[in-house]
Amino acid sequence: MALFADRLILKDRAARARALGAILLSALLLLLPWMFPLDGKQHADWQQFLGRFHPLAVHLPIGLIVLVPLLELAGLRRPALREAAGFILRIAFICCLGALTLGYLLAYGSGTNGTIVQRHLWGGITLSIGVLACIFARSAWTSHQFPRAYPALLVSILGLLAWTAHQGGSLTYGVNYLTEYLPAPLKNIVGDSKAPSSASFYAMHIHPILDANCLACHGETKANGGLRMDTYDQLMRGGKDGPAIVPGKPETSLLLQRVTLPVTHKLFMPAEGKPPLKPDEIDLLRAWVRHGASSTATVVEGISIPEVAAEPTPEPVGDYSSLRPEIDQLNKGQGVKLLPVSSKPSDGLILSTIDTAPTFGDAQLRSLEKYFPFIVEAELGRTVVTNASFDALSKCPHLRAIHLEWTGVTGDGIAKLAALSELTYLNLTGTRVSAAAAASLGSIETLRHVYLYNTPAQPAPTTESVARNTP
Amino acid sequence: MKQHPLCTDCEHAPDVLDLPIPSGLKAEWAAIETRRRFLGRTGKVLGWAALANLLGSRALIGDAHAADTKQQGGPPEGEYLKLPHFAPKAKRAIYLFMSGGPPQIDLLDYKPNLAALYDKDIPESVRGGQQLTGMTAGQARFPIAPSHWDFKRYGKSGTWVSDLLPNTGRMVDDLTIVKSTNTEAINHEPAIMLMNTGNMNAGKPCLGSWLAYGLGSMNDNLPTFMVLQTKVNPKENNQPVSSRLWGSGFLSSEFAGVGLRSGADPVLYLSDPSGVDREVRRHMLDAVEEINRQTLQELGDPETNARIAQYEMAYRMQTSVPELADLSKEPQSTWDLYGPDAKEPGTFAYNCLMARRMAERGVRFTQIYKRGWDVHGDVMGMLPILCRETDRASYALVADLKQRGLLDDTLVIWGGEFGRTVYSQGGLSKDNYGRDHHPRCFTTWMAGGGVRPGITYGETDEYSYNVVKDPVTVRDFNASILHCLGIDHNKLTYKFQGLDQKLTGPVPANIVPGILA
Repeated sequence: MALFADRLILKDRAARARALGAILLSALLLLLPWMFPLDGKQHADWQQFLGRFHPLAVHLPIGLIVLVPLLELAGLRRPALREAAGFILRIAFICCLGALTLGYLLAYGSGTNGTIVQRHLWGGITLSIGVLACIFARSAWTSHQFPRAYPALLVSILGLLAWTAHQGGSLTYGVNYLTEYLPAPLKNIVGDSKAPSSASFYAMHIHPILDANCLACHGETKANGGLRMDTYDQLMRGGKDGPAIVPGKPETSLLLQRVTLPVTHKLFMPAEGKPPLKPDEIDLLRAWVRHGASSTATVVEGISIPEVAAEPTPEPVGDYSSLRPEIDQLNKGQGVKLLPVSSKPSDGLILSTIDTAPTFGDAQLRSLEKYFPFIVEAELGRTVVTNASFDALSKCPHLRAIHLEWTGVTGDGIAKLAALSELTYLNLTGTRVSAAAAASLGSIETLRHVYLYNTPAQPAPTTESVARNTP
Repeated sequence: MKQHPLCTDCEHAPDVLDLPIPSGLKAEWAAIETRRRFLGRTGKVLGWAALANLLGSRALIGDAHAADTKQQGGPPEGEYLKLPHFAPKAKRAIYLFMSGGPPQIDLLDYKPNLAALYDKDIPESVRGGQQLTGMTAGQARFPIAPSHWDFKRYGKSGTWVSDLLPNTGRMVDDLTIVKSTNTEAINHEPAIMLMNTGNMNAGKPCLGSWLAYGLGSMNDNLPTFMVLQTKVNPKENNQPVSSRLWGSGFLSSEFAGVGLRSGADPVLYLSDPSGVDREVRRHMLDAVEEINRQTLQELGDPETNARIAQYEMAYRMQTSVPELADLSKEPQSTWDLYGPDAKEPGTFAYNCLMARRMAERGVRFTQIYKRGWDVHGDVMGMLPILCRETDRASYALVADLKQRGLLDDTLVIWGGEFGRTVYSQGGLSKDNYGRDHHPRCFTTWMAGGGVRPGITYGETDEYSYNVVKDPVTVRDFNASILHCLGIDHNKLTYKFQGLDQKLTGPVPANIVPGILA
């Protein structure tokens, strides 16, 4: 910087004074974090009040900085615009200083700190100095000295701007904001998800609540009040005001105290006008703390969460468009039909035999072999298929549901269905499937719904869950 | 020679507007229909009419052709419309319609604190200046009538259910109870129309017709959409239900619900008269079809197609309906589950059993109407009867579908057209009370494919008067039902009267993610 100034514009005293001023100002900005260190404590209210205008004000310099290269480019055709660029650059710098001051007031006043806050802060400081440097580089550029310096500097501050803005966005909306709704394939590439993966009550029900409501300010990136809640250990460690959670004692746990205060209370959480926790979420937290706030327990007494078994996303089947005319032809008849699950071919076909059941046997099933790769559901209820059908069915790689109710199958060879990696539903109602054959289905991990009503394999009727009186 | 201004010599027609006459007169002149203009315009109109006729009949024949391929067993309707929009969770639905408006406070919306408020007036602030029906608007007082019945907690979910519904209690872990359903209509006819067709005025297609139109049939031998009416119990306060509720509106009448009678013979004149065998009947139908096809050629009315299709359906139903209604092969366990009422045609229990049998036979949508819930007075006398008629059978249906593996892809819906008031209509005594219509909240439930089991959705205030959390409007309710069946309610539309008509109407509707699996 100094060298640059020396060689360039020290020809007159005014220029020298300007350069000196710029260097001093930059040094001052760089020293700011040491003069008023972010110590994680809250300071004066007026600082926070003013600071909260930062998210509003910060967009002005962003707009102006982006305008500069646009003006420079447009200036290639209309020189008057290029002249404006210098002016805009100066205004941008002044706005940068303003936004920086407000941002610093916000961080300092509210006692925020964390990795992302630090990154955002340094991004802001560097960016301001960069814009200042641009002003000087531009005047050199217009006098045809260092023709490369200015464009290079401009490009790099644009990159820096994007990065800093992203850090700011992550502070406000949370780190996952951009990737939350990323389409699944891309998400796998990005490869995130730090959520605990066990099946404990904490992992299934408590962490998601904290993740949705608290982690934006009490996480890895921002640990307001010294409290982090992104892992179980951090959560139990607590913050500056003491432990957030006292196992067994929801009343004395700060976490529950804070979320149940009146919304207008100064200490109410989630702070900064974010939506309060829902009553059922608070109930879950309270029950979990009361029963020891364990990280491993899978059940919390008195709380039953209806298990909505997350159905696995079905694998897309291949494209059957080339078979479409034949399928349409088949569906026109009064016999067997291959009905699309939905308008998306990748959802597959349903084999429907309802109108031809009395005459639909193993041979008819085998004759449909060329459609097997696309069949996801086989409705063979009340048909005359036999145990031989298991062989054919096991050749439908995407089969998810098989209806064999009221058929003559007895279960010999049913183990062949183990070849079906997506099978979740098997209806054997009213067949003569033996208990042994039914037991062999246990090896199919994906199978969730097996119906054995009215079969020899039907489990002994469990005592009806009679109305129990739990006041 | 100067020409007279009104002499309209065809060679030298003067422009009247150029003549020095008052402007008012000119305007009048311009408006006068001259013979020349009349003839000229008529010619044009006739030309357009002829063109429209040409194009129109082309279009009609086009439509007829599309429907024709369907009748011939062409691509199922669903495929034609690119439906379902996404992979559905439920393939079929059964709607238990409790006509008259069941009192939510006595059944599923537990308000224990009301007991302390017995005979106190409901605060004016709760009613909020609501316009009441003519039946209670004149009442001097609105005394709170707490439910006469106790409630117990059932199931893993610990849901409170009235002692009137012990069997419903046994299945709460399979139910998705919606306490915050609310409607805009306060009287039966508009409310029941709104619930079924999405519009208070009659003439729009109902839910079942939309499903039949959108998804098509799953079998060739039974109608896509069937309606079962429950035999009327004369002791109850029965509001009329009529075929408008299962009408197809502007959709082809093929998609209207087919009602089965509640008597011994589910479809009248279904059996061939003596002396007419299957062969003769077939010839007769072929001849009728030939005539109908000629009519179609001449007039191009798509309703003719519907007629042809219905004749064919009726012919097939001659064998399929007796089989459907033949309960002799049902095992004893069926009767143990549904109860002895199920043996008597036309009872609610019988209809529930029929609904299960239709589900097994590929009927897309079955709607059972049970009347009598309109308990303006004598709640204590009527509710036990109504609940005895419906509670066990509703449970039996859900349990039966579940044990047979059908509940995974069948959506069962239970609900009426509105709720009932917390305050008593007429006198309130320890022995009896009445309840008036209440549109602002009522309780419904769903079970099966597409909904989250074992939850209660939405909350009402302590008087069960206003919804305080997660309201579900009728259109949201219907949108959610369509969603379970793989339909985006905004995309299932039909052009009529210049609008893209849909079940949920023009007001934006939203599916309710909280109740969906």
